[in-house]
Amino acid sequence: MDDIRKMVAPGRRALLAGAATLAGTAAGLGPARAQAPAGGTVKVGLLVPLSGLYARFGQLMRMGAELGVRHVNEQGGVPALGGAKLELLLFDAGDSTEKAKNAAQRMVADHPDLVACSGAYLSSFTLSATEVTERAELPMLTLSYSDLITSRGFRYVFQTSARAGDQAKGALPIMLDLAQQATGKRPETVAILTDNTASSLSFVQPVRDGAAGFGLRIVMDETFTPPLSDATQLIQKVRTARPDMMVMPITVISDVKLLVEKMNEFGLGRGRVPTIGAGIAMAQSDLLQNIRPAQLEGFITVVGNWDAKGQEAMIEEFKRASGEPWMGQNSIATYGDIWIMRDALQKAGRADRRAVAEALRSIDITEGAALYYPGRRVKFDATGLRENAPPVVVQWQNNRPVTVYPRDSATAELFWLKR
Amino acid sequence: MFRPLSPGRMIWPILAFCAAYALLGLFVTNSYHQLTLTLVPIWAIFGLSWNLLSGMTGLISFGHAAFFGLGAYTVALLFVKLGLTPWLGIPVAGLVGGLSGLLIGLPTFRLRGHYFALAMLAYPLALLNVFLWLGYQEVSLPLVRERGWAFMQFADHRVYIYLALALLLVTMVAMRLVERSRYGMALMAIKQNEAAAEALGIDSRRLKLLTITLSGALAGAIGGFHAVILLVVTPEAVFGMLISAQALTVAMFGGVGTVWGPVIGALVLIPLGETLHAQFGAVLPGIQGVVFGTAIIAVILLAPEGLYWKAHDLLRGRQAPQPEDAPAPRQPSPSGGPARVAPAEDAPLILRAEGISRAFGGVKAVRDVTFSVRQGEILGVIGPNGAGKTTLFNLLNGFVRPDAGRVLLNGQDVTNLPPNRLARLGVGRTFQVVRPFARMSVADNVMSGAQVHAGSIDEARELARGAMRRVGLETMADARAGTLSNLDLRLMELARALAGQPRLLLLDETFAGLGGAEVDQLLPVIRGIAAEGTTVVIIEHTLHAMVRLVDRFVVLDHGAVLAEGLPEEVTGNRAVIEAYLGSKWSAHAGA
Repeated sequence: MDDIRKMVAPGRRALLAGAATLAGTAAGLGPARAQAPAGGTVKVGLLVPLSGLYARFGQLMRMGAELGVRHVNEQGGVPALGGAKLELLLFDAGDSTEKAKNAAQRMVADHPDLVACSGAYLSSFTLSATEVTERAELPMLTLSYSDLITSRGFRYVFQTSARAGDQAKGALPIMLDLAQQATGKRPETVAILTDNTASSLSFVQPVRDGAAGFGLRIVMDETFTPPLSDATQLIQKVRTARPDMMVMPITVISDVKLLVEKMNEFGLGRGRVPTIGAGIAMAQSDLLQNIRPAQLEGFITVVGNWDAKGQEAMIEEFKRASGEPWMGQNSIATYGDIWIMRDALQKAGRADRRAVAEALRSIDITEGAALYYPGRRVKFDATGLRENAPPVVVQWQNNRPVTVYPRDSATAELFWLKR
Repeated sequence: MFRPLSPGRMIWPILAFCAAYALLGLFVTNSYHQLTLTLVPIWAIFGLSWNLLSGMTGLISFGHAAFFGLGAYTVALLFVKLGLTPWLGIPVAGLVGGLSGLLIGLPTFRLRGHYFALAMLAYPLALLNVFLWLGYQEVSLPLVRERGWAFMQFADHRVYIYLALALLLVTMVAMRLVERSRYGMALMAIKQNEAAAEALGIDSRRLKLLTITLSGALAGAIGGFHAVILLVVTPEAVFGMLISAQALTVAMFGGVGTVWGPVIGALVLIPLGETLHAQFGAVLPGIQGVVFGTAIIAVILLAPEGLYWKAHDLLRGRQAPQPEDAPAPRQPSPSGGPARVAPAEDAPLILRAEGISRAFGGVKAVRDVTFSVRQGEILGVIGPNGAGKTTLFNLLNGFVRPDAGRVLLNGQDVTNLPPNRLARLGVGRTFQVVRPFARMSVADNVMSGAQVHAGSIDEARELARGAMRRVGLETMADARAGTLSNLDLRLMELARALAGQPRLLLLDETFAGLGGAEVDQLLPVIRGIAAEGTTVVIIEHTLHAMVRLVDRFVVLDHGAVLAEGLPEEVTGNRAVIEAYLGSKWSAHAGA
């Protein structure tokens, strides 16, 4: 088999070169899917916003992917393909679903030899981009949370983090258990303070529905429209309600600043009212330019992926190269995606997108790429969702957000004040 | 319009364009380029929908995304919730778009100019939040693996190009027909001057509602089709500011007010944007926006009216100097025309104002004015500036409702009728400020006045020809209105009013800004109009021309009738002299 591949390799290489020059015109619909030559390169794509409103997040993902490709290549590339190196192609998803979809179309049309891709930051971008990649049978790995992504019967999309709905449902019992472990006592009252964005509302809904079932009493429930101009009244209410814990999913960074500063002003910060957010608005490095990190001490947020135990060397390298204070879910998950692609290529033994997809469907690994995902196991179910992907709980401790759950990823213990 | 185009000549450039485009589509195999080729007709149609409302009526809409987005969501939700195929969903989207156009138009047409534009801006922004609130952040059109064609899903992306192109072909032909129909003429008249259009007998509110309904339907339908291409509908993607802006951009870039404008705009801008994105997006992220913006600014600076009109002008410039292009010297005005005698004192009354009054706040602009106009006469209404002359005209033809009193036309009470109804009853009017369509020929400008009585476009042509003959402009029929002298503009304005075949013509300061020689040319024209049986009431504040023209004067001062009578009686009247020149002169006159 290997021999045959080596024999056809030069022809393939010529074809690749030809495809590259004619990419604009000759590619067409039924592209010839090239196999990588031994010791050659295999193309993988990254489709993220590199311009516009979300460019910053796209850049973080790009840095993660570039580091991943470098590491894979330094560590021998894809052995099953004769040590073939990965080559990363970037595609700008822009700032709208339409641009994301057009970029995906460009990606599949101009590069029929791509074997897999990762993207596209926002769930709505991922949804529209995967409409294209699905039809082109190009496997796409994504960190996006939306429940819709893997509920469309698609076969070429692979969701690596817990879905938004599952994160929301899972967050409350996890937090209650963590609080009990830390203090020996379960919280009895909860306050809800949320903005009215879709992701925040979907996060608090299971809390509203399920609180009673966990023996929790909702003592305050406030919804506001971002952006806030003043948080005094809202935090006043929190002080009056004096809850054992508060669920506060906030998406806008300026609102995070106002609420956190006001809580500190009212003496509710530093974990006095343990406060749980959702998503990365409360843990992204941009916060450091907006707020004194000491004020964030004790704040908790639930995300899909985060800097975890066992990744120290890689994270250090990332921080040195990027100048970022920590790596965060976007960079880590994208870094991990490159490793999953490498493992899938290794398993497929062929640089063919359908073979890679088939390998992804049957992959089951607990080391290598699995190190970069909470739960430490990469196995996708029939819909493409990574099985048993838990949410990650992150808490601000000593001026930086650290992972406190799940246990095998945690780099610190949860800090929860005893009353 | 005045020069009839054969159906073939109207349609064949469109057919040729579409055929060439189809041929191009046949040979493009790259699916990304196929997508770009599909997006061009989509945005062209959206631009045409905007052009129908804003380009043709001059009511700028910053909110066309409202219709577009509703159409997109209609198709997506019908598909997801009810399993309805987009083949049926798109027509429904058209209906939804049309209905929303009507509902939006009803309150919004109370506003004019910038206020209308700003109000329109609000609708898509509001809808965006409504759809967020409804929980439709992301509506994904299901992938149908078997029998995809039944749900407008094709593996061969060229099918989408041809679907979009077919829609574009139908839209362009329809727009071309509209442009040259009486309906299109009426829209242009509204764009030119809504008040004047009303005075020509055009029910502008009804027409505007019809137009926003049609425009909304078109935007809704193409929004629905776009949903099929997008596959995932999000509020930002269909209601966003950029969507409304896209319609404006392609139309203004290509040229407003023409079928080809939005098509040219889309044809240049969409591939340019995509190419820039493809070339620079991953290399120098963000630079594509800068280049795109610079290109638009450059074109707007070099061709402010859009590429189409620039090319149009360049082609015309190359043809010059051709004799028919330079305005031909106008024929001398019909010097005598039919001999005219002032009507007898017992001639029947055509118009009578009975004690009409109107106050604006504390200012009594018109106070208890009573006078009559006899059939066939030329009546001059004079008075110093601010005497209430124009308000009186506005009362007579319905722009302003009187607080008291009534207006009788041929003995029939017409006091509270709107201007367009009065126009249909035979009251024509010109305005102090002439606002012609600079780009259109004299004949086309005049033809916009033939609205009321013409049953067909041919009849309108005939009426326009007759009206131009009556004012002596027939040799200049093909001259562009923008090249006319002040006098010719006045004559054109007269001809436009005459094309509506009024029995009573109200002329508002027709002599304003004209020199002595020009006045001398204009006087016989007006006399001729009266001689042919049209009653004329003319406002002026200068007396010298009027005394040579009118049969009788009504003199207004401070909103009330100061004097009434034959020219020689009025000019000798002490009160009149005092009102015009002050008491010193009246004392002098009395001496």
